[in-house]
Amino acid sequence: MMGGYGDVKLLNDDGTRLDGRTVDEMRPVEIKAGILPAAQGSAWVKHGLNVAVVAVYGPMEAHPRKIQRQDRAVLDVRYNMAPFSTSDRIRPGFNRRSREISKVTAEALESVVLLERYPRSKIRVEIEILAAEAGTRCVGITAASVALADAGIPMRDMVVGIASGKIQDTVVLDLDKAEDNYGQADLPMGICPNTGELVFLQMDGDLSIEEYNLATEYNYKAAAEIHEIMVAALKDRYDGGEA
Amino acid sequence: MAAPVPSLLRQELERLAESDQRIDGRGRWDRRDVQLEVDILYNAEGSAKVTWGDTVVYAGVKFELRTPWPDRPTQGSLMCGAELRPVAHRKYEPGPPSPQSIELGRVVDRGIRESGCIDMEALCIVPGEKVWGVMIDIHVLSDGGNIFDACGLAAIAALRTAVVPAERFDVGEDHVLAVKGTPVMASFQRVGGRFVYDPCEDEETGGEERIHITLGDEEHLHSLQKGLKGAFTPAEFAEILEVARTHCGELRELVSSMEGN
Repeated sequence: MMGGYGDVKLLNDDGTRLDGRTVDEMRPVEIKAGILPAAQGSAWVKHGLNVAVVAVYGPMEAHPRKIQRQDRAVLDVRYNMAPFSTSDRIRPGFNRRSREISKVTAEALESVVLLERYPRSKIRVEIEILAAEAGTRCVGITAASVALADAGIPMRDMVVGIASGKIQDTVVLDLDKAEDNYGQADLPMGICPNTGELVFLQMDGDLSIEEYNLATEYNYKAAAEIHEIMVAALKDRYDGGEA
Repeated sequence: MAAPVPSLLRQELERLAESDQRIDGRGRWDRRDVQLEVDILYNAEGSAKVTWGDTVVYAGVKFELRTPWPDRPTQGSLMCGAELRPVAHRKYEPGPPSPQSIELGRVVDRGIRESGCIDMEALCIVPGEKVWGVMIDIHVLSDGGNIFDACGLAAIAALRTAVVPAERFDVGEDHVLAVKGTPVMASFQRVGGRFVYDPCEDEETGGEERIHITLGDEEHLHSLQKGLKGAFTPAEFAEILEVARTHCGELRELVSSMEGN
């Protein structure tokens, strides 16, 4: 269930949102690739006020041996929020939420990474949320895709994380913090822009089928825009820069 | 990046030391390039990012209301912690805080606490009942060597930009946290038989003992720590202390130049 505080006004009288965006407008997105020298691949993504940083290590030997797969690599994904990333400080360490997000993010990325190229090995994907303003799991997925590409890990496609939702009975793209807290539904997706496939899907709240369809349409439109920014970041990293 | 063969690395470091060279081409007392950005994270009441050579560190300040310790009813509290999460290097594993990260957090904590730059009495709201707890969390994102100095710098820079969120907690108006002084750390490691300032990753891998010195505004010592196996002489310490004075002064100016949020 979403917050359910139905009486909070989230739309202005002219139909725009509290931060001035139109219903199908996403927050500004900035991406940089290769920002962590110690990592094999890395990315920094700022989406609205969210900041996610991802490091990729590997392929490396998978240990303990019981986690090895004879025919493919395993993806070891961790999603973690920094203690100072939220309004109230978070105690360091894993919780149920971060474990679930780590799991579904790993499964999304496993769907695109060519794991069969690296039998018996492990690829580590470390997602660190430094500032959270609604939608961090999506920002983490986007950043992880760029970091994997930066590390030179072969993939069928990159995954773009993006969410739409519903506020005041209106479908809107890319919920901000107030909209997430007081809205009626949230529909995060992991979209492969080249193949058009979905590899990550969650939802909570209340959506009609028509609303689901419109939210999905918004998500695909935004995914294409974010994908361009991801590609530009990777080109930026390797055009003329040091290898 | 890949784990080097330590004995070969050590030989190479010793060979370089004979002609007073370093593996990355620096002079013995040279510092790598340091960049500081402050007030960069939404939700943190104060924040800083330090890029120190190949090392990248973030620090964030949060406040919470708590009841004071019974023996110090008019004082707030300060806590500084560091996390060496697996994001920072392939050598770090997930799990509970390692002794290494606890040492790091505590050494940075002591430098700030003992410099007296935070007036604990000023963090009191209602004596015996309600005080501010200041939490500095340091997040190491890339360990390229000498994370101690980078963490110390990030912590004090984040503190110096912190705003006490009194309105959100309904205890008055938001105000800038009063910070009197800028304690700065300088770290040294024995590499190839002699101490060098600001060890890089290879020098840490192939080096021996390290010494961390935190100096306050008046060049008083506020925290010292010797880490790892090894022995040094008072004369060696006197030599590195002189170097620490110069570098701490330069870095203190860098922090001061960032202020004015």
